[in-house]
Amino acid sequence: MSDTHSETDMAKAGVTRDAEPFNPKPARLPPGLSVGPLAWMKQNLFATWLDTIITIICAVIIFMLVRHLVTWGILDSVWDAANRRECMNKSPEGACWAGPRLWFHQFIYGLYNVDERWRVNLGFFVLVAWMVPLFLSRVTVKLPTAAGLVLTYPLFTSYLFYGGEKGIFWTIVSALGIACFIWAMINLLLELFAGKPLGKLLEQKFGMISLKSRMLLLLALWAAVSIVWSGVELEVVRTVRWGGLFVTMVVAGIGITFALPAGIVLALGRRSKLPLIRIVCVVFIEVFRSVPLITVLFMATTMVPLFLPEGVTFDKLLRAIIAVCLFAAAYMAEVVRGGLQSIPRGQYEAAAAMGLGYWRTTGLIIMPQALKLMIPNILSNFIGLFKDTTLVAIIGLFDLLGMVQAMSEATDWIGLVDEPYLFAALVYFIGCFAMSRYARHLENKLSTEHR
Amino acid sequence: MNSPVRAGNTAHGPERSRFSRMASDPKIRGLVAQAIVGTLIVLAGYYLVSQTIYNMEKRGLTTGFDFLSSTAGFSIGFHLIDYQPTDTFGRVFLVGVVNTLFVSVIAIIFATLFGFIMGIARLSHNWLIARLAASYVEIVRNTPLLLQIFVWYLGVFTLLPPPKQAFELVFGVFVLNNRGFYATAAVPGELFWITGIAIIAGLALTFMFRRAARAQREATGDAPSYAWKALAVLVAAPAAVFVLTGAPLTWEVPTLKGFNYQGGWAVPPPFLALLIALTVYTSAFIAEIVRAGIQSVGKGQTEAALSLGLPRSRTLKLVVIPQAMRAIIPPLISQYLNIVKNSSLAVAIAYPDLVGLWMQTSLNQAGRAIEIVATTMLFYMVVSLSISGLLNIYNRRVQLQER
Repeated sequence: MSDTHSETDMAKAGVTRDAEPFNPKPARLPPGLSVGPLAWMKQNLFATWLDTIITIICAVIIFMLVRHLVTWGILDSVWDAANRRECMNKSPEGACWAGPRLWFHQFIYGLYNVDERWRVNLGFFVLVAWMVPLFLSRVTVKLPTAAGLVLTYPLFTSYLFYGGEKGIFWTIVSALGIACFIWAMINLLLELFAGKPLGKLLEQKFGMISLKSRMLLLLALWAAVSIVWSGVELEVVRTVRWGGLFVTMVVAGIGITFALPAGIVLALGRRSKLPLIRIVCVVFIEVFRSVPLITVLFMATTMVPLFLPEGVTFDKLLRAIIAVCLFAAAYMAEVVRGGLQSIPRGQYEAAAAMGLGYWRTTGLIIMPQALKLMIPNILSNFIGLFKDTTLVAIIGLFDLLGMVQAMSEATDWIGLVDEPYLFAALVYFIGCFAMSRYARHLENKLSTEHR
Repeated sequence: MNSPVRAGNTAHGPERSRFSRMASDPKIRGLVAQAIVGTLIVLAGYYLVSQTIYNMEKRGLTTGFDFLSSTAGFSIGFHLIDYQPTDTFGRVFLVGVVNTLFVSVIAIIFATLFGFIMGIARLSHNWLIARLAASYVEIVRNTPLLLQIFVWYLGVFTLLPPPKQAFELVFGVFVLNNRGFYATAAVPGELFWITGIAIIAGLALTFMFRRAARAQREATGDAPSYAWKALAVLVAAPAAVFVLTGAPLTWEVPTLKGFNYQGGWAVPPPFLALLIALTVYTSAFIAEIVRAGIQSVGKGQTEAALSLGLPRSRTLKLVVIPQAMRAIIPPLISQYLNIVKNSSLAVAIAYPDLVGLWMQTSLNQAGRAIEIVATTMLFYMVVSLSISGLLNIYNRRVQLQER
């Protein structure tokens, strides 16, 4: 407050300059119940009579529910029993966690050979390790790592999980996955501890290094891995033995990996000026979006055998995966189309003015911006796909839900429903909830960058 | 300087071959691309058709829709239109369509009601209610629908007591046991049609009252209340007609006969499980749509309405809700479409919907995979195209109002 201002204020209040020095009174307390936890409760829980009644009713319901869950699920529960009868004898009113406990490995791996389960674990850990650099802000080389993961990880794991005699072709193809993984890990370690990616380090040591010589290095690594890898042969594990969360991840993973590129192609096709291409894409997208997934799955199981030449058979899992991929691609196409539509026309016109053709406009100008806008929608689409994979249980595959169903029909545990289904629900919930939180986080992060 | 030599060096001069000029012409490129795609599609189609015909001949399978008029020979647990095992496959298809639409329509009604309640509860100023609604939405949205259907079916409806110890609700008007849900049925008598006409006439009159009231409001600014008139023609008049024609309605109460309840309307446990699962699952999505819709209306709108002196209730009714509905209705309708599609999960708990009856039972009995898959998909496509057609009409109307 400036001096002149305070003088006029004082004059207005009838206070002269000669009066006693101004002594402010101590601040008064806020009116009752406007700050503090009690006030918060008054405002947010007991604002009106109706609110109070509703709050009390809700609180009572929550209390009873929690008390029931605690006594049933924890206090009275049974963790050690060989079958349901034993559970009932020990504690008739409590949860029988012994069932899901004994079946835990089946829930995760299905009937995958016990001695070979390490292969599933290895595949999972490779996936996690490969994804680490994508989430670390210190790592600068992300795009090649992501591309390597998407393109070569399935090659490596398809042999790892299935096994059998691999021949020269599969040796080389699956070795590419291993080579790319090793490359990504070397890069990760160098970036974490030396602060620079492999390419930069080599440049410092030997001067300018072209992309070609880096590629040659990768080729040499690939060749070396192929030679070592050719000596390894894994036991065959047929897909009928695959099951549990493992199959859920395989179906969802392949569906997601396929859906994004296919969706981009379909969405571009739908916006194409060429009538034939547009019609083909529109028909594909609309057909698969308007029918339920289960009809597509039934179609794959009943009709695909009719399309194949003699002697060629697709197993059930592969047929289900094809159906899920087609279905997911159609949905992803609409997400991508939404993203493309949000790019203003000026961007296209500016690109055209720069002399860029269709492919370079799309690849360099439009797609990078559109994909960034789409990320939250893409993730929520992935959540839907992850939940939809449960439908493969209907056509007789044993994914996590199918395995849970099998357990509640097994002779030892027949009729045990709540506990295994609760377990499965928890697994799905954790997966979907984490993804949706991550989507929201990304949405916030990306939207602040736009401001 | 316009020498001919210089002209020959420009990009469009004769030095470039005719071929390279054609190759960079976007029109010709487009034609070539389409020709390639077209050829590939034709080749793939030819391969698929010939391979399928070959495979079917080898397995001795026949094609055609003649099976639609042959006897189906199996019984169906739940049907709304008359059906006997001696009926045809065509009839089975109809039963499936009606069953699918039946469960979908009821689920749509309940999911809308419940979803709106939950969506508004999420915005409640009561912290506990908002938190409860938010947890409900998160838990339901993040677990697969199929799992929820199984839990309702195996965990609730098959564990209900047998008919002898059934729950009799509201003095036996409704009965619930592990064989299903039974409700007292109203059986219309001979003269009931007169009451029906009275109800329709009442609806028409109410509609006219409403138009007249609106016209008056727009002309004079007065908003006349027509509630009493509407009540008279909608309730009092049909009731009077009903009594005068001798109350032609009898009640059929479900009663325990032998091993099960008989009489009244009955639905089996799979129907209940499917209905509740669809309602709960979709209501969580609708709740989010409603919340987002209400939040999309700017706070300034509410403040402006309040500062004009509108009371809170009319602010909501006249300012907030009409604007929110514009954001709510399009995604709401696509949720309705999802209900129709998701009702196909009925096949997992043996509710006889279209997919269960047609794609599973009939396909196993009659073979004819291609015809059956095609007709099923056609049905869903017709439903979804007509719903999205309605949505487009709505969007056009809303857009016209806006500009």
